[in-house]
Amino acid sequence: MTGMAAESPKQGSALERRVPARLAGSTVVLLMCVTGLLAVSLLSMKLGAVHLSWNEVWGGLTSDSEPLARNIIWQIRVPRLVDAMLVGAALAVSGALLQGVTRNPLADPTILGVTAAAGLASATVIVIDPRVPQWAIAAACAAGGLIGAGVLFVIAYRGAVSPVRLALAGVALSAFFGAAIVGLLASSRTFLQTSLGFLAGGLYGSEWRDFRAMLPYLVPGFAAAILLSGRLNILALGDDVAAGLGVVTDRTRLAILAVVGVLTAMAVATAGMVSFVGLVCPHLARYTVGSDNRALIPVSALYGALLVSIADLIARLVISPSEVPMGIITAGVGAPFLLYLVRFRE
Amino acid sequence: MRLSIQGLSLGYGRLTAVDDVSLDIESGDMVSIVGPNGSGKSTLLRGIGRLQRPTRGRVLLGETDIRSLGARQVARQLAVLPQSPDGGADLTVRELVYRGRFPHQGILQRLTRTDFEAVDWAMKAADVELLAARTLAHLSGGERQRAWIAMALAQQPRVLLLDEPTSFLDIAHQVEVMELLQRLNHDGITVVAVLHDLALAARYTRRVIAMREGRVAFDGAPAEVMEPVGLAKVFGIAMTVLTDPESGLPIPIPRSKASLTPRDAIATDRP
Ligand SMILES: Nc1ncnc2c1ncn2[C@@H]1O[C@H](COP(=O)(O)OP(=O)(O)OP(=O)(O)O)[C@@H](O)[C@H]1O
Ligand SMILES: [Mg+2]
Repeated sequence: MTGMAAESPKQGSALERRVPARLAGSTVVLLMCVTGLLAVSLLSMKLGAVHLSWNEVWGGLTSDSEPLARNIIWQIRVPRLVDAMLVGAALAVSGALLQGVTRNPLADPTILGVTAAAGLASATVIVIDPRVPQWAIAAACAAGGLIGAGVLFVIAYRGAVSPVRLALAGVALSAFFGAAIVGLLASSRTFLQTSLGFLAGGLYGSEWRDFRAMLPYLVPGFAAAILLSGRLNILALGDDVAAGLGVVTDRTRLAILAVVGVLTAMAVATAGMVSFVGLVCPHLARYTVGSDNRALIPVSALYGALLVSIADLIARLVISPSEVPMGIITAGVGAPFLLYLVRFRE
Repeated sequence: MRLSIQGLSLGYGRLTAVDDVSLDIESGDMVSIVGPNGSGKSTLLRGIGRLQRPTRGRVLLGETDIRSLGARQVARQLAVLPQSPDGGADLTVRELVYRGRFPHQGILQRLTRTDFEAVDWAMKAADVELLAARTLAHLSGGERQRAWIAMALAQQPRVLLLDEPTSFLDIAHQVEVMELLQRLNHDGITVVAVLHDLALAARYTRRVIAMREGRVAFDGAPAEVMEPVGLAKVFGIAMTVLTDPESGLPIPIPRSKASLTPRDAIATDRP
């Protein structure tokens, strides 16, 4: 306040700095990303058990002239595509939030057990009543995800924050909930095929009702993630500095973990236990736009949407007309990436 | 802005690190806190800066209890620079300094001209303009320290609390940082700094508070309180105090432990 006026800087350079350099430099990558999403969308509408011609795709998308194509596109492929993008975005944003809040580059909703917590809730309601409506599955998952995130908070943040403690807590939670899920599925009469799709993660048969079930959670979830991103930046400076800048550290962490719980839960409700998306995408985003979470989180979402929609397209096509669980494809990309991280980064 | 610390106690679990400390720090004063390792200096600073909840007592900023103010409200008036902060390694210096604007920003953190001006001023004041685009992880200890000071300055505080701002700095930069603090102080900012260098404390601050085992051991103008017996009591080592021929201020010099005279030994309460 004081002393400012006397040493006030020249104005000219201020405007140039409005666009952070890294963001400007990465515009190309982001444009490619959006183009990629567009391309995947078109291919996803065209390819599948029934291959449509581009004319049929166009006709089905825009008019009633091709009733069959219209049906396939609007009732099957578009909703599945939208679900894939949302699942990817939700997982990637969860991963970005977790890596930020734990200050640990290996954090991810699967590794820290949030996915398994939501999965256990989902498996429980499905085993109790196989005809349970999708909105109820989403609600159960949200509850499970929140519980998982809450347990993580209590275990990891009692006293001083330690990345090691958090990782250990996550591994333990993950193993515990995972075992419970398998036990539950194995002892029920649920089809093995369905279980497999759920455990590996996939979008088999996902449609508009999945979208409708996720939406009431995803909209506030994504909004909160964006609003919390500034605070997350401050948390990254360390607890004392953050507190000195006016961030209530524990409350912020709890809020962030709650958002992670809800977003991850929606991905689980729709696609089962997809792994590695939340781990890989934030790293790719960091590579593109740096570590400012206000850019990192939206860009992670973009990468997540791209990764899962591509993975799902591949999953539908490799052994067409049958399909493999999409999670196998993301794990196929993610696991080597994890190994790379462990080997070549501190 | 006046700080009033009233019967403040702080601890960690069962350990009491600061025990019933009362201090009044006048608006515009420049104060140093000295004392041996583990004497509770950092903890006291954390308590004053609202980083740690006191077990007893309170801190008034102006007329208001800082606990009754929001964290952001406090952060707009009071900046704390912790002892060797370790975060933000992948940030550039400019990015770090911008984060100091957080308490002044709205929820969307849109940057205004005030933000640009504050950041430019802070970087200039802390002499980090040439480092603006460098990554924190790749700076020397002293350069990094100045970057953090710049961040605290970007907060435009009325009260600045610093925990060992001159550790890691070479002599020239130590003097530079102290002179920077002095300039800020001339502009009306209240400065409280934990310092290990007693000569720096004597030369640059108007009031020296010595801590020992969580309590205030002595407190006053350097020329009055920095005398051998008092210092020996606090640090448990014999001290000689010279007088700076230029300023007339005390320059405490440690003697070897062995040279502790019987009188000093009694004074330090140590065998
Ligand atoms: N996070 C903590 N958890 C438990 N005890 C702590 C913690 N931080 C400090 N202490 C203890 O509190 C006491 C005071 O510590 P403090 O950090 O305030 O000392 P200091 O005067 O700043 O020392 P130094 O000169 O080494 O920085 C010490 O006994 C220390 O061991
Ligand atoms: Mg200390």
